[in-house]
Amino acid sequence: MGSETEGELVARTRAGDKAAFGALVDRYAGQARRVARAVLDDPDEADDAAQDGFLSALVKLDRYDARRPFGPWLMRIVANAATDRRRRRRVRRAEPLDPGLVGGGPRPDTEAVRSELGDRLRAALAELSPRRRTAVVLFDVEGYSHAEIAEILGIPEGTVRSEVFHARRRLRTLLADWKGA
Amino acid sequence: MTDERMFDHRPDPELGAALRQALEPRDGTQAAFVDRVLVRYDAAQAAAGVPTWDVLAAWARPRVAAAVAVAALCGFLVGRALQAPDDASFDTAFEPTSGPGLAALVTASAPPDASVVFASLVEPR
Repeated sequence: MGSETEGELVARTRAGDKAAFGALVDRYAGQARRVARAVLDDPDEADDAAQDGFLSALVKLDRYDARRPFGPWLMRIVANAATDRRRRRRVRRAEPLDPGLVGGGPRPDTEAVRSELGDRLRAALAELSPRRRTAVVLFDVEGYSHAEIAEILGIPEGTVRSEVFHARRRLRTLLADWKGA
Repeated sequence: MTDERMFDHRPDPELGAALRQALEPRDGTQAAFVDRVLVRYDAAQAAAGVPTWDVLAAWARPRVAAAVAVAALCGFLVGRALQAPDDASFDTAFEPTSGPGLAALVTASAPPDASVVFASLVEPR
């Protein structure tokens, strides 16, 4: 299963092969969960959004153009699922999140193993707009091109370049003291 | 990350690695995540297998029937109203049930008695 190409897995999934779909989910789970978390902050909600994205992609698989790369197509669906959840959450919550709670609130089991750098980065990311942090994560973490990110986020390529630039500058400012220490 | 890195249109490996670590889901949750997605596979496939038009048709059928019934009722009422005899002409409306009548009153050379005018106004037709 691991040696199969993406195209083969997609074709088998289209034919109703559940195991092939499982292999696709396994292949893209990490990426989808990170992208959803970049949008949502909260890891549990991000997993819900990533799951929504995978199942939505399964339903829409007939519309996928197999001549194009699968990753950006899937990430667009995941990012949209996460954005929808974020929008609904904003409706539910009249008050903005306390910055100290960003990240899903206290989670003693996981907080203990997170590095100081990780904490600072999450806090820094939380100060960026969802689109900006999603752009920088897609670019610097997931390795997508500006053009692919433009397609994923549905914005012009120039805007992606600007968002990545501003995100990097902001992250650099916020991390400067950590690096100096 | 230097200023050059900020303008660089290539991924920044240092920042990327740090962000990846910060956003990485908890250890050991990958398999669980794949499982929870697959648990919903059948339901998602089943939902996708029902054509949208079938859903819309099932939803709309009772409403279409109700709309047809209402339209039929309205048609019947309008048709009945149009077929009713038109016996309420202006002449009959102004015709008095008793007395000289409105035309005689307004064309008379002598002013009518007040009781006649009052009676022509209040008498039921």
